[in-house]
Amino acid sequence: MDRADIKKALKDPHKWGEKYSLWATYFCTGCGIMEIPPVITARWDAERFGVKPMATPRQSNLFLITGYVSIRTLRAIIISYEQMPDPKYAVAFGSCPIDGGLYHTSYNTVNHLDRYLPIDGWIAGCMPRPEAIFIAVTKLWKMIDGGMVNGYERYRENIDYYRRNQERVLGKEFIDSIPAPAMVKP
Amino acid sequence: MTTWIRIVWIVVLPIIALLISIFFMGLSRKVIARVQRRYGPPLYQPVIDLVKLFTQHSNISHGMIFDMGLIIALAGSLVTLLFIPVAGIHPLSSSGDLLVLIYLMLISPIGMALSAGASGNPNASLGISRKLTLALGYEVPLLLVLLAVMTQSGTTSLLSFVQGQSMSIFSWGLFRLPLSAIAMLLILPVMLGIRPFDIVGAPQEIASGPQVEFGGKYLALASIEHGLHLFIVIALFVDLFLGGAANLGTFFLKMLGVFLIGVLIGAVYPRFKIDQALKYCWKWPTLFALSGLILVMIIGG
Repeated sequence: MDRADIKKALKDPHKWGEKYSLWATYFCTGCGIMEIPPVITARWDAERFGVKPMATPRQSNLFLITGYVSIRTLRAIIISYEQMPDPKYAVAFGSCPIDGGLYHTSYNTVNHLDRYLPIDGWIAGCMPRPEAIFIAVTKLWKMIDGGMVNGYERYRENIDYYRRNQERVLGKEFIDSIPAPAMVKP
Repeated sequence: MTTWIRIVWIVVLPIIALLISIFFMGLSRKVIARVQRRYGPPLYQPVIDLVKLFTQHSNISHGMIFDMGLIIALAGSLVTLLFIPVAGIHPLSSSGDLLVLIYLMLISPIGMALSAGASGNPNASLGISRKLTLALGYEVPLLLVLLAVMTQSGTTSLLSFVQGQSMSIFSWGLFRLPLSAIAMLLILPVMLGIRPFDIVGAPQEIASGPQVEFGGKYLALASIEHGLHLFIVIALFVDLFLGGAANLGTFFLKMLGVFLIGVLIGAVYPRFKIDQALKYCWKWPTLFALSGLILVMIIGG
């Protein structure tokens, strides 16, 4: 952790801020949310890494989707993701968002979340331990250092692809009702 | 103070206040973490947060009032700050500044109310209504305390009241007006909006209240405004009851003491409901403030 490295911080303050101040929105879609309270409270204390739960997507830049994604929650996930300011990182927690997991054959869940949203990292397991979140955070730091997390840029570039997939599941009415993501160039 | 020195302090004092309040915000997070037996974030975590918020790419606005309200709130805090004597630095002090202060302290809540109202989020309006209700709660004892101060010293100038306490430790307001000091200490967490009374920005209930639609630079400015408010209220307490200070170091230490009392109380108490907070404000602090005022009127200044 080079958080106290002043030279590096002054060289690229933006990257320093992004890395060590990850404010998270936890999206409680399923049982994965059970692992979050120990992470943010006294036992594992995520705050020492600068990870802090925030109340709204507007204030946060780390989006943690914990658990299976049903079609109804996919709507809320898309709206929340588009409300977050850039740069933003989406991390899927547990095996359900990866391929449906336990609910693979369910009529009501979305099996591959990365067809609808750009996911920057996956935490596999059912359930992953709280330590897995810290491993994910440190890995995210490395990826930010290398400039490898560009989910929000991919989303803007391939918006047609993502909108097409979203429309197939959610219907045209929903897609028309949400505003286009802000096309601000960094 | 000559005009030039005044102008220099008008620029420098907000910077000092900002640095101290950022330090306080970091310290409060660390102290709360240690009380809860966590390791906690580093002391400079608010700096990282502010750098991140200021360098975020997209800043979503909700119209002109949304932008202007925040600037009004920030400006209100900055102007209020200049009227408070900080360790012999008093750029705008003159006679009657205690009365000016009472009015100026209401500007920044009104600015935040404008901004939050323009965002159109129901949580923001809920937060604002709670904020104004809470202000109604603590303004009553605060006004009684200030009235006792004015009656006792026979002046409406905060500066001359602070200078009158500089003789010895027993000329502090704390010993001259003990009941008023207790009342002010009791409403201090309400005015600061820290833990037992963080009803306005309750993240778990109303999604951080007035700040619900703020992101990026807006959230950074809002937290700077909150930090300046923290500085103003604690500095006012130190000026009124702890005798001000001759230099910045002593003043800072006194502020630190007052702030730590508030943080340690906040670290162990859960949040009140708004009606409980209002009941609290109008019960004990008002009782102490009123009896303090009556005592001062009987004994005389």
